[in-house]
Amino acid sequence: MNTLQKVKVLGIRNLTESTYVLRTTRNNFEFVPGQCVNIGLVGGAVNREYSTYSSVNQKKYLEFLIKKVDGGLVSVGVSTLKPGNEVTLDGAYGRFVIEKPNSTQKYIFIASGTGIAPFHSYVKSYPGVDYQVLHGIRTASEQYDRKDYENNRYISCISGGVGGDFSGRVTDYLKSVILSKNAIYYLCGNHGMINDVYDILRTSKVNGSNIFTEVFF
Amino acid sequence: MKIAISYPPIVNERGQKAMVSQNRNVQFFKTPTYLLPVIQAQAATWLRDLGYKIRWDDGNAQLKTYDQWFKDLVKWRPDVIVFESTTPVMKFYWQTTKDLKKKLPNTIFIMTGYHSMRKPEESLIESPTDVVLKTNHIDFGLVSLIPYIEKHPNWRKTCDIEGLTIRLSKTKIRDTGAFRQVQPIDKSPIVDRDLIQWKNYAYENGNFLQTPGTYATSVIRDCMFGKCTFCRYNGPELTFSKISVEKSLDEYEMLINKYGVKEIFDDSGVWYRGADARKFAQGIIDRGLHKKGCYFGFNTRFEYLDEETIKLLAKANFRFVLIGLEAASNETLRKLNKGYQHKYIKPGLTWLTKYGLHPHMTIMVGYYWETQKMLNETVKFVEDLMFSGLARTLQVTLCTPLDYTPYHFETINKKVLLTNDYDDFDMSKIIVKTPIPHERYYEAVRKMYSIAYHPKFVFRQVMNLASFDKRNWQFLFTYGFRALRRVRNHMYNLTVYSKSSSRAKSKRVLRTSLHTQGAS
Repeated sequence: MNTLQKVKVLGIRNLTESTYVLRTTRNNFEFVPGQCVNIGLVGGAVNREYSTYSSVNQKKYLEFLIKKVDGGLVSVGVSTLKPGNEVTLDGAYGRFVIEKPNSTQKYIFIASGTGIAPFHSYVKSYPGVDYQVLHGIRTASEQYDRKDYENNRYISCISGGVGGDFSGRVTDYLKSVILSKNAIYYLCGNHGMINDVYDILRTSKVNGSNIFTEVFF
Repeated sequence: MKIAISYPPIVNERGQKAMVSQNRNVQFFKTPTYLLPVIQAQAATWLRDLGYKIRWDDGNAQLKTYDQWFKDLVKWRPDVIVFESTTPVMKFYWQTTKDLKKKLPNTIFIMTGYHSMRKPEESLIESPTDVVLKTNHIDFGLVSLIPYIEKHPNWRKTCDIEGLTIRLSKTKIRDTGAFRQVQPIDKSPIVDRDLIQWKNYAYENGNFLQTPGTYATSVIRDCMFGKCTFCRYNGPELTFSKISVEKSLDEYEMLINKYGVKEIFDDSGVWYRGADARKFAQGIIDRGLHKKGCYFGFNTRFEYLDEETIKLLAKANFRFVLIGLEAASNETLRKLNKGYQHKYIKPGLTWLTKYGLHPHMTIMVGYYWETQKMLNETVKFVEDLMFSGLARTLQVTLCTPLDYTPYHFETINKKVLLTNDYDDFDMSKIIVKTPIPHERYYEAVRKMYSIAYHPKFVFRQVMNLASFDKRNWQFLFTYGFRALRRVRNHMYNLTVYSKSSSRAKSKRVLRTSLHTQGAS
């Protein structure tokens, strides 16, 4: 188990006006891709959980994908930190992980917004995995680090505005394609998306045992 | 169809009642708190709305004897009986189901609860139970299942609603796979207070400073953190979901204006935090509900609420904040995956008390690794918090491995679990090997409960009167006497197995008949 620790901020990389990637030193912090970590401001007495975003194989740093929440002490506070400042890390926790990554198994990763974070970590950590990412977002600017996914394995579903790969919600996309009953589905994001996608999968006779969920809040 | 949602009165040989409700682990108390089983209440409301005849059959809260409860239920002749079970009362439920089946051979028995959902075959083997619901979303499970049963005479063979284990015959069962992890709980109705006879739960509850009080329809199912190793809200099949702030506010408004409720507690594992918490508090203020003389309360975690949010909650007339302080030792907190640090406990409590909220701490002792040093740290820290006024009330429980939680598996793997008898999991004694004698933990329990009688603590409460805040006066003069009675009750219950108490080491036998209820 990790010890509770303070780590140095290496940088903040802004992806949109409200979303950024926090990079910190790793200090041998152990995690399984998909697990979450409690991040807090030093001396702040408040922390929040964020899924790991970086690869487990990247030994030098950790990354987290964070969206600023109005009035949010941690998400806004961390966004103002400079390299050399510190944050506290605790964890890693959770079971939203791929137990035994298998190159012969098809994985479908369905995310809304920053719910793509654990999938980014999976993809970067398990290079041989056969996956498809379906990313529900409002605008094309939210295609966070799209370049990190292999060609044709990332499909953005844009509900407002233009651009991306599919115009409409991720649920609309799912209704327009034939869904594999043998694939394993991982759902991460807001509970509305997860509820709707779950219904679509079950209607398509995907067994509930092949569906894993992590709700962001 | 006639559906009974039933809670049989369960009384042990010491005359204590089992508090079966809300999928909690069961404890026995002479003076029980009658907790509204919120999800079952939503299920009852929803099924009634669908046109079914519902019997809200909480024999505990209705102060029935077991015999009276049994007789009344048989007389009503339900088509379906729904039970909520948990480990220490499993054997009781199996026997009760057998007894009822003899009288009601055509009735369908549905078992719910964390124990049976983790081990569904067991209840079908050990009793004539017909279906085990493998979901804690009992409302969603029942509103799918009951109409299906009604329309399909061959339902046992054809039903493919997920999350069920169904009896096909005396020796055959079938399983419909994993249940749905997340439900859109906004679809489940707000509890109908008349249907569940809300006043039965409005007075005998140690969490209420004012009565009548009530439990809100929980805004969160399971837990948004969901990682603590000892907790039931931890598992791949448990994912939190929440109802909208507006819907919850509507319920609060109705409870205050229609029922005259004076205290509302939301018993979600962890209540809203961050933006949702602020939106809720602002909603209370915007609707003028903060001026209706009703207090509000909830469960939270350390490091979840910031000062600005707490300030707003206080303005909205929130009072009672139940918060888990599992130990004072950082090592224990980390082993439990608690996700908060010891050093932030005091700042969090300072914010709460600064704005007049009443923190209630829930403490645990008796972890299989807990040394005398760790235990002393916890006791000393708790005394410090109580004497300095950073916490108002507390409860202490003996850490008991709950079914198939990571902590339970640890105790099995490390061979420190001392019993497999389900009756022993009732939190009345320590059931794991520990580095120091069990008596030391019982002493710690007594010591922490004794704080309520300590002159320093009493003096602190008297000093609080100087603020002329109504709730401080109520705390000392109205609530204080009730609370002391409960403290005695807790001390007796949690230390009855200690050397200094009676020869209570004999096996606990659940009485199923002729026992006058002990509510006082």
